[in-house]
Amino acid sequence: LVRFVWMQRGGAYPERTEIAAYQHGIFPRSESVVAATRDLERGRTSEEAVEAAFSDDRDAFVALQRGGGLGFFSDGLLRWQDLFRPLVEASTGLDADGLARWFDNNAFYRTPDVSAPPVLSVEPAVFAGLDALPRPRMATLPSPYLFFRAARGLGVVEAAEALLRPAAEFLVARACALIHLQEPWIGFHGIEDAEWASFEKALGVLTEGLSATVVLHVFYGDAEPLLDRLRRLPVAAVGVDLVETDAGAVGTHWETGLLAGCVNGRSTVLEDVDATAEVVARVTERAGPPRLFLSSASELELLPQTLAAEKVRLLGAVTARAREVLSA
Amino acid sequence: MKALLTHEIGSLAKPGWRVKAYAGRPVPPEDVNDARRWGEQLGVEGHEDLLALLREAPLPRERRAEVARWSSVYGVRFLEAAGLDAVYDGEQQRSEMYNWAVTHATGFDARGSVRSFDNKYYTKAAVTGPVTLAEPYHDAEFLLLREMARAELKVPVTGAYTIGAWSFDEYHHCEDDLRLPAAIRREHRQQGRRSLVLELATRLIRPNLESLINLGARWLQVDEPGASTEPDELDLFVESFNASVDGLNAVFSTHLCFSDYELFFPAIEAMSGCQQYCVGFANDDARDLGVSESARPGYQIIKRFRDLPYRPALGVGVLDIHTDFIEPPELVRDRILYAVEVFGDPARIHVTPDCGLRTRTWEVAFGKLRNMVEGTRLAESALGLPT
Repeated sequence: LVRFVWMQRGGAYPERTEIAAYQHGIFPRSESVVAATRDLERGRTSEEAVEAAFSDDRDAFVALQRGGGLGFFSDGLLRWQDLFRPLVEASTGLDADGLARWFDNNAFYRTPDVSAPPVLSVEPAVFAGLDALPRPRMATLPSPYLFFRAARGLGVVEAAEALLRPAAEFLVARACALIHLQEPWIGFHGIEDAEWASFEKALGVLTEGLSATVVLHVFYGDAEPLLDRLRRLPVAAVGVDLVETDAGAVGTHWETGLLAGCVNGRSTVLEDVDATAEVVARVTERAGPPRLFLSSASELELLPQTLAAEKVRLLGAVTARAREVLSA
Repeated sequence: MKALLTHEIGSLAKPGWRVKAYAGRPVPPEDVNDARRWGEQLGVEGHEDLLALLREAPLPRERRAEVARWSSVYGVRFLEAAGLDAVYDGEQQRSEMYNWAVTHATGFDARGSVRSFDNKYYTKAAVTGPVTLAEPYHDAEFLLLREMARAELKVPVTGAYTIGAWSFDEYHHCEDDLRLPAAIRREHRQQGRRSLVLELATRLIRPNLESLINLGARWLQVDEPGASTEPDELDLFVESFNASVDGLNAVFSTHLCFSDYELFFPAIEAMSGCQQYCVGFANDDARDLGVSESARPGYQIIKRFRDLPYRPALGVGVLDIHTDFIEPPELVRDRILYAVEVFGDPARIHVTPDCGLRTRTWEVAFGKLRNMVEGTRLAESALGLPT
């Protein structure tokens, strides 16, 4: 599933860049699941019917990823109520509290609230569903810095040690070869200079010796002012939101992998495949990363499911076209 | 308006009998019994006629409006029985605050369900052409409620900024060519948003408000739960509010919820046409009793509303609408007393839930509202105000 494209370039760029696309984050539920979960809350359907609807959605999402030629399979986090909830529910010392806005969106998460030293004490129940996926598998987790900022009373290193590293190990045990860390906080709000050290330490705790590729994806903001620091963090690849970041600002001579967030996850307008692939190719040629991942610029959960599916197909088409451009 | 005036924010859940009968489905006996029980408890006059109607379900399309009318009667009596000073009908005539507005406008096409939180969704539309008011969309319900309500009416109307923020825009901003510099693309997005929101204010919301005022509406609550969605667009939110209401003869208030309220300052200093802000705070407050600053962490921001250059009232959210926890009257009392202490003037404090109660059952919503009113009575007593 992973192709190698020899790039006809000179200079300091590596001779080959490994290219793969995947879809990170929570994928929107179908209208059938929306209706089923609503009906369950109103006592109009059974748990079994809801389970069946979720299974249908998962199977459809797998088929969508396969049809798009994506390189890793996700379960779409379809049962996740928000990016933190399964981790919160599987942890002691952590509760899901009041609603907080998910950045500048009409979507909300429940604030993780620390009441005692938190420990991810059992495997989150939703991870069991990963067994139904083809391989290679990928999963999404919140970045430790996002977790620290979104929660109340949680430290950034503590988030990595007590929650995210155990979660990542559970995911590796479920054969996840790639773990995508969503980091919209520093894209949207930025990060204090003094906080980089603890962020780096937290990522080290999370990634050291872990048998999976870890990608840190900064979105909902311009990554340009952050890139020098991001590229030195202990992760296999750094993701950039190209909807918010100038393609020309991504830079050159990347020694770490690059994730090009090239499909707008918050707009129903479908991108032009050739134009988007051209930008991805230009960024790749300049940056010369050893590995290139393509994905949506932010999660697709904020789109209706049918349009999100179109975006996944489009991601596959952009990836294929970018390969052609880069190999030409 | 009176000191410590009590009112709701907008929505109540639609009863099972209303949902099923309106959808043309049979109504099972337990839902008919539910209609009977609430009809008796709320003293709904003639509710036996509703029960007879429900027993005929499934109903033909031409009879379903009767069900919606009954639902409004129940909604009004529900809020009146809870003891509120100002009421509406829990938005029983409307599909939902966003969808109801856009389906009565031109220029929108539905795109599908998008999650708000947990298992709660809304149908999100895309703007695909010029937006105009197709027909005034609250007139019929206002005329209906004016006939039946015993308490003062306050009409909730979804605001322009929120409708804009909750819509996709494929008309004013329809390209996202990554080959352009990011700054140019950002500027195009901002221009598109500004065009859309001001178009909504002047061509959809304002004519709708004018129509209500012509029918006799005197208090119009412009709901803006999405107002702080884009922190760098607070000035646009204010501009859209002003464009919606400037020069119109009525009391205008606005409802804000679940935001970082600090973001609204200083932008809302220019929103002097707003005579009352209704704001949710209980969601972030402690449940312990107490009137000290440390006891009321969810209410620290209210000082900023107090210090606005004009003197709006503050509708203080005292009920967390996301939980089934029934706030004891004493907790409501202490939240009110803290707010009065900060403002130094009970006439500028009103008492409300954080937001609409549509996500709660009627049992829970009624328990919360009854305790809100009882807590207000306790606060009035503590302050030596007439009850």
